[in-house]
Amino acid sequence: MKLQVLQEDFSKALTAASRFTSTRAQLPVLGNLLLKTSKNKLTISSTNLETSVSIGIGAKVEKEGEVTVPAKTIADFVNNLSPGNINLLSEKEKVQVKAEGTTSTIAGMNSSDFPSIPSSVAKDSFDLPTEDFTDALSKVLFATSVDETRPILTGVLFVFKKGEVSLVATDGFRLSQKKLKSKSITKSGVAILPKTALSEVTRTAKSETLKLSLQGKDNQAVFGVDNVVLATRVINGEFPDFEKIIPKSEDIRLRADKEEFLQAVKLSSVFAREAANIIKLTLEKGSLVVKAESSSAGSGESKLEVKIEKGEKKDLEVAFNYRFLEDLLGAIEGDEVVMSFSGPSAPGVFTDPEDADFLHLIMPVKVQG
Amino acid sequence: MPHTSTAPVKMEKVDKKTVWNNVLESIKVSVSPAIFSTWFSQTHLAGLKKGDKRYVAEIGCSSSFVKATIESRYFGLVQDSLKSELDSPCDLVFSVKDVPQKKGGDKETPSPLFDQEGKKDEEVARALARSQIRPSFTFDNFAVSSSNQMAWAAAEAVSKNPGSAYNPLFVWGGVGVGKTHIMNAVGYSLIKSGYTDKVLFCTGEVFTNDIVEGIRNKTTQDFRNKYRKLKALMVDDIQFIAGKDAVQEEFFHTFNAIVGAGGQVILTSDRPPQEISRLEERLRSRFEAGLIVDIAPPDFELRCAIIQIKAKERGIEIPTDIVQLIAGNVGSARRIEGFLIRLASEATVRKSEITEEMVQSVLGRGFETNGQGKRAEPKEVLTAVSKHYSVGKRELLGNSRARVVALPRQVLMYLLRTELNLPLQEVGKLVGDRDHTTVMHAVEKISRLTSKDPQIRQDILGIKSSL
Repeated sequence: MKLQVLQEDFSKALTAASRFTSTRAQLPVLGNLLLKTSKNKLTISSTNLETSVSIGIGAKVEKEGEVTVPAKTIADFVNNLSPGNINLLSEKEKVQVKAEGTTSTIAGMNSSDFPSIPSSVAKDSFDLPTEDFTDALSKVLFATSVDETRPILTGVLFVFKKGEVSLVATDGFRLSQKKLKSKSITKSGVAILPKTALSEVTRTAKSETLKLSLQGKDNQAVFGVDNVVLATRVINGEFPDFEKIIPKSEDIRLRADKEEFLQAVKLSSVFAREAANIIKLTLEKGSLVVKAESSSAGSGESKLEVKIEKGEKKDLEVAFNYRFLEDLLGAIEGDEVVMSFSGPSAPGVFTDPEDADFLHLIMPVKVQG
Repeated sequence: MPHTSTAPVKMEKVDKKTVWNNVLESIKVSVSPAIFSTWFSQTHLAGLKKGDKRYVAEIGCSSSFVKATIESRYFGLVQDSLKSELDSPCDLVFSVKDVPQKKGGDKETPSPLFDQEGKKDEEVARALARSQIRPSFTFDNFAVSSSNQMAWAAAEAVSKNPGSAYNPLFVWGGVGVGKTHIMNAVGYSLIKSGYTDKVLFCTGEVFTNDIVEGIRNKTTQDFRNKYRKLKALMVDDIQFIAGKDAVQEEFFHTFNAIVGAGGQVILTSDRPPQEISRLEERLRSRFEAGLIVDIAPPDFELRCAIIQIKAKERGIEIPTDIVQLIAGNVGSARRIEGFLIRLASEATVRKSEITEEMVQSVLGRGFETNGQGKRAEPKEVLTAVSKHYSVGKRELLGNSRARVVALPRQVLMYLLRTELNLPLQEVGKLVGDRDHTTVMHAVEKISRLTSKDPQIRQDILGIKSSL
């Protein structure tokens, strides 16, 4: 293999691909990057057997070939080179990297041990607008579970319908749903994709649209953005029936300024941290009172003006984990937040008045007395 | 022996696992530990089928990367190991499948968001049981027409604004018109909307018994705690407390305590308060202070609706014309229920769909009675019919086939058959010694007419009431 690439492109691709190598792999080849030429392209691939990525960059190829090299070594070396042309030359399992004034030889491994990974998106893919998609992910990803004993909840559920996909994530205490329109979705179906892969997608996605194809047979989902192809395993299993738990009615509906509410939550959180993260919301003469108290640190109470849109005469007393409220308010883009409640043991429903496609549920905490 | 039949199945399962374990053991020897743990440790034998002399093994891999690698690099190795393990040639199929997980573990992680539904239902069910409200009586399955619209509207208003809309609500009406249903429905919707405790449904008789019990065991205080702190008290058949002085007094105080605290009282009776004899004046005036509504017996349209609701509850499908046929011939809601049960069992026994002919035959058989209540004599029916149509008895039993006589005659036969439950031949004999097939024809004709002709429905109703 013999070729020339630009340091700028090569370095970026190496850094991106390195994130997909498995650091603690028992099999050394999984800690390596696969460098492979095809016509005027150099493809850099890596995998941790759960997700894989393959990134193509432009190159001047003089002799075709392929080889794997340890990710960390080559990435660290190329990152520190100054911009300009780099010559790559491989001989057997050694890779020579030559730039202006510097030469190094890196010990690699035979590429035949490297697992085969998808390097292109299948034809039956959907087009998704990248910006909307990453935005939608940012509104649901935080609600996924970190608990590995329930793998299904560590993923995001994609429900495809004609012209629409809805993304749902839940950790059993809260649930976030965001819908996304795309004309190219023609089939309906469901898939649960791991959140790690999805956050990588948001990191790499830069162009205007991205392609997504589901390969049910291989239990795999493949994303394609520009010259990057990212494949991930689909989580097996059945997502909890989330439609069922979305409350159909409401007793009280409030509209509050997002920033004010967030500030009140943050102020109360100082004391809530000492008291199992619990803050209480109550209504007092048309204002919302956010309260937290702990036996050791003291107590705090903030009032904010809210617009009561429904249930003026009803009492409200409901307690939430402040972290969930903080996460949610961070995800809302509009200036206001609308919340509806129906009793201390029914989930609170939070919506963004400027975004009808977003829905968030938080389960209240039960408080004695 | 019972275990012989289950043994082979079990063997099979054990087989697949041990076969694959043995294969993996032998692969372990041939490859490096790193390769083994990366590629093979997450695999399993998803299926093993024996074809003609060859086995077909489906190997489940945890991801498509693993599948691709094993398929391309270790195919031969796996095939050879399987072949020597099974002692027979073997074909391999690869698929991406997770190792079948053992259940459990899931339950340990709490997810209140998904548990709440059940809890809420449970709470409601518990409250329903405590308040002795029948969950099958709701507003959803209460059909409304002009005969009970007033009562329904009042009950709806009470269920939305308990304690303030109409207090007390007094519902009266004859047997089987839906008094208890509407009262239960209010209780059900109160419980659904959060009044989980402090709602109680009882009959006048239970109330009486509770007092007697309290007096006997010197626990009247318990009784008071039970009744006076309620948010909603529903008493069915309140007329039972009439004439019982101590009970009336206790009810008076209970009533005052509940209403005074803003609670709701709903009462039903078979007659309006002013007609309940031996009811204390102060109670009567209190009953009259609220809203008194009556429910009339269901009219034809309402009966149709009731039939449709009940049929749906039982999962029976009845075409509209048959619904009308039944509604025209069966009077009260309870009778409708009984009729549908018989119809359904008839349909299952005969293994056929419900047809007009089947309905006719069930109708023609009349209703079983337990002998209670005095039945009208055939003579009285004859008198009533002749009076109603102003046709002489002699003519009615005679041979004239003029329409003015024939139709009343058929009505007479219909009534004798369905109301008095007389056998066909007997009816024939009574009505001028006619053949039993004539009677059959008459019963069939009238029951068909009742579903279409309001005039005949009214005629029959009039005759029945004059009996």
